This record gives sequence, structure tokens and C-alpha cells, in this order.
Amino acid sequence: MATYVLRRLIQAVPILLGIAVISFMIIYLAPGEPIDRFRSGRVSPQTIENLRRLYGLDQPLPQQLLSWMVAFFQVWRVDAWGYSFTDGQPVITKIAARVPYTLELMGTSLFLTVIIAIPVGVLGAVRQYSWADKIIMVLATIGYAMPTFWLGLVLKFVFAIKLDLFPLFGRHTYGDDSIGDLVWHLVLPVMTLTIVSVAGWSRYMRSSMLEVLHQDYVRTARAKGLPGSRVLFKHALRNALIPIVTLLGLTIPSLLVGAAVTEAVFAWPGLGGMGVTAVIERDYPAVLAFVMVGGAMVILGNLLADVLYAFVDPRIKY
Amino acid sequence: MEGTQLGQIPAKATTGAGQGAVDEVDLTPVRTYWQLARQRFMQHSLAVVGLIVMAILVTLALVVPTITGSLYAKTSLSLANHPPSLLNPFAPLGYDSIGMNVFIRLVKALQTSLFVGFSAVSIIVVVGITVGAIAGYVGGAVDNLLMRLVDVVLSLPSFFLIVMMVALFGTGNAIVVIVAIGIVGWTTAARLVRAEFLSLRETDFVQAARALGAGDRRIIVRHMLPAAMAPVVVAATLGIADSVVVEATLSFLSFGISPPEASLGNMLTNAQEFFYRQPILILYPGLTLILVVLAASFMGDGLRDALDPRQRVRK
Repeated sequence: MATYVLRRLIQAVPILLGIAVISFMIIYLAPGEPIDRFRSGRVSPQTIENLRRLYGLDQPLPQQLLSWMVAFFQVWRVDAWGYSFTDGQPVITKIAARVPYTLELMGTSLFLTVIIAIPVGVLGAVRQYSWADKIIMVLATIGYAMPTFWLGLVLKFVFAIKLDLFPLFGRHTYGDDSIGDLVWHLVLPVMTLTIVSVAGWSRYMRSSMLEVLHQDYVRTARAKGLPGSRVLFKHALRNALIPIVTLLGLTIPSLLVGAAVTEAVFAWPGLGGMGVTAVIERDYPAVLAFVMVGGAMVILGNLLADVLYAFVDPRIKY
Repeated sequence: MEGTQLGQIPAKATTGAGQGAVDEVDLTPVRTYWQLARQRFMQHSLAVVGLIVMAILVTLALVVPTITGSLYAKTSLSLANHPPSLLNPFAPLGYDSIGMNVFIRLVKALQTSLFVGFSAVSIIVVVGITVGAIAGYVGGAVDNLLMRLVDVVLSLPSFFLIVMMVALFGTGNAIVVIVAIGIVGWTTAARLVRAEFLSLRETDFVQAARALGAGDRRIIVRHMLPAAMAPVVVAATLGIADSVVVEATLSFLSFGISPPEASLGNMLTNAQEFFYRQPILILYPGLTLILVVLAASFMGDGLRDALDPRQRVRK
């Protein structure tokens, strides 16, 4: 197992390099120059020239790419990812500061998704074609088709404007750092994310459970007279959960970067929103770092999915 | 595209299990693969509903904006915030906060969305098939190189990359949005085509074509591609739903199509600004989006069942 993980990590290096090259090329090909933001009537051409030299923009492209990559992978240095164009802060610090906010949002939503979607999916599978199942499937299909940002808008309208139960946006009331206030602000964004992912996950859980329930060993367990609940939870559920574990691994990247839209709707100060702002402001060091972090998350998520898969299913050997 | 390689499955192969007519000999003529597929699709009621809804949406999107011309961008402040009324056939959904006719704008936005969706999927299909076919047919180092490229693109944070490309290369430009979605999205189609090609390469009919002296291009285009299309067709149909949602999200975040051009996403941005005056305006673009997504995914599900030749038609 250890050698497998190591091999996968080594394979990840060229992929990460590929991501670096592609994102660097996109920014290089974009019209305009990173230092255009500093140009104005009061900045002399000499200063612009100095800035170009300072940022290494006078160097040939391969040289620029190389020096950026060499610096980028020295993550133990605070300036490894450069300094933000907007506020001069080291990009590493800026990103690290946002991680907890995104985690509290996405972590809560993922937790709720798992504890809601699994029972719902199991119920749908066990009572297949019943009224409960049909209602679950209709709701799940609609929930799956709903764009996240639109659901966020509707929830904001109903719960923040009409009923005035929860705040419209933000993470906390100014001057109030209590847990209660944070939870109060979390409700709507978490609800948005959870509804959309419960819709997907419960459909997945239902089909996984249905597949297992039609297996011979489940029929055998029933035939030898085991009580229904025992067959269900001991024999069927444990195997039906295996594909869900994979799904968990594949969700990891979106834990950190995937909530950009929800964060934008609710003005949540997380990573996704920071990435979008960085793009708008053409804060190139932050944009590049964001793409790299996102790519690393996808790779780690896939790896985690495979490792977890082997962990829950002893038949799989690496 | 007669699908002669996969077709010619005699229709009487089934014994009509559960239908009672076991010994009856089926005298209907032999049907081709695509005829069978159409029959299976038509038996999938949700898929038919999806197809009908999609047909209605496409017709609306093609016809109404042609008649109404540039009215979708016309503001008349005297009509601002006029409530929806079914009695007014010209403006059944009323007027928004700057006096734009909501119905006309909505249909125009639908046209934009469907245009972006279908165009992006065309790019995805063309690039995906080309890369997948080359990788699967040539094999070896070329295959390896192309598949590593697929790995890299798959590992990119896709939505953020689209945002980045659109923001850097031209916010508000539908073509940039289409190309960005295409650049990020072709990998699945490429993988599917490659997988099909790897197994098709060794089949008898391909070997026969080669023995008869057919060139590479002819073997790929005439013999292998028609047989490899089924999974791509399914993925493309489902891809329409994804592309439409991505475009709406981009426009909502004001990266995509910007006013006065209409998009389901920027209509929602606008509706959000006037949340208190006319909250109902967030309803129409959202429901339209849901309708498009549901129609495309029902069609995709139906096509998946229909194009899988292992499923025989029960008559």
C-alpha cells in the first residue's frame, strides 16, 4: 500500500507540471501585461521598465516559467507563491487564511449530506417503486437539475427577505464573534450546498443499494432466516457504501475550491470567492497559485478515493 | 449512417418472456441498429417527454426572437415593474425594473443558452473524437502522450479555469465562453472514443476493411467511427445540460454574456438587484434552466438505454 501511494504521488508530479505549464500559458497568452495595472499618467516609462525587470517580465518565456516553477514548489518559504498584486501580502498567507472559512462551510455541508443522503437512498432502494421512493426520486431529480446559485437566490428570498430568519450574506455580524452568530450565518449557504449534493448523493446511494440488494448473497442471507434489518445493515449496506466512499474522495477538491459560486452568492469570505476576485483583479500570482492548489486537490482527492476504496473493500489489492 | 456493422440483429430473437406469445414466429423485416435504437428510445417515456420539451424550447428559441427582433433589449421606463398578466399576450410575464419585456427577454436568453450549450458540445465532440480516435487508432507513444494530456486537463479545477479564460480573454463574449467550455470539457469524449477504438481495432470487420486495402482515413471515418458513436452521443446530450448551467453561472457572476445581451444568468443577476421590488423575476430564468437541464438529461438517459445493443426490444 505504501509503495502504491508513493508511486501515485510520483506520477502526480508530471501532471502538476502540466497544470503549471497550461495555466502559465493561458496567462501569458492573455491580452495585456501583468504590470498594466501599474500604468498611469504619473508613472514614468523608466519605472515601468524597472517593474518589468523586477518581475522578470523582460526574460524569455521558458525562463519565466522555470523560475516561477522553481520558486513555487518551495512551499516552506513564505514568498514561494509570490506577493499579491492587490495588497502586497504573500499569496501563501492569503490562501492559508481563507482555508478555514471554506472548510467550515464545506465541511458542515458534506457532513449533513452524508447523514441525510445515505438513509434517504437506502429508504428509496428498500421500498423501491413505493410512494416514498417516487417522491424521493422526483425531488432528487429536480434538486439535481437546479443550478446551485439559483437555489441560493431562492433560499435567500424565502428565508432572509420574506421570513427574515437568517442574514442575507456574510460570515458574521460586525463585532460579534460568537459561535451562535457564525452558525446563524452558516445556515443558508450550507442549506444551498447540502440540498444540491443530497440530490446527487441519494440517487447514487439508491442505485448502489439496489444493485447490492439483488445480489445472491443477500438472497442467501434472507433465505437462511436472518432478520430483515440484519440483512439490510450488516450484509447489504456495508457493500453499498463502497462506491460512496469513492464519491467522498472525489468531493475533496470541491471542498476547497468548488464552492466559488455559493460563496459569491452569500459573500462568504472563502477560497472560491478569493479565486474569483483574483481573476477579476488580474492578480496573477494569486490566480496561478489558486489553479495549482485546485489541481493538487484533484490529484490528492483521486488518490484518497483509491486508497479509501482499498480500505473498505478488502478484495481490492494494490 | 446505416450502422451495418452492428445492425442486422434479427428482431425475433426474443421469446417474448412474460408476454405469452412464445411460439409465435416474428415475420417483421430485419431492422438495423439505428431503427432498433429509435424504437427503444420511443419506449422510454421520460426520454420522449425530454425530447418533446427540448423540441418546444428549441422552436421557441428559434422563432420568437426572429419575430421580436431587438425588442429584447428595449427599455421603456413607463412600463417598468408592470406585473405579469396572462391577459396581455404581448407581455405575459410583465416588465422588469428597467421596463424590459420579461417574456421576450427570457426567450432571447433561452436562445443564447441553447446556442452556447449546443456549440460548446459541438467543440467537445469534435475535439474529443479527434483526440480519442487518434489515440486509440495509432496507439503506442502517441496514445500515451495524448492520454497524459487528458490526465492533466482532468486535474485542472475546471470551473475556475473557465472563469479564468473568460475573464482574461474577453468577458461578455459568447464565443469565448463556448471555446472555454470546449477546451475544458473534451476529455470525457476523448476517453470514450479511445476505449471504443482500442477494442474495435481488433475486430474482424476492421481487419477485413484493411485487408481489402482501405486506407487509415477510410477505416477510421467509414468503419470505426459509426460503431464508436453511441457513448459519445449519450455524453454529448448530457453535456448540453452541463454547458448551459456553466454559461448561466458565468453570466450570473458577470463573466459571461453581459447586458444588453440576454442570458439566463445575467437575468438572474438583474433580478437579484431588484429583489425587493419584483422577487418573481428570479423564478422564470431558474425554471427555464431547470427545464433545459431536465430535458437534456432525460434524453441522455433514454439514449443510453436505446443505444446499448445488449438490450433487445420487447415487442
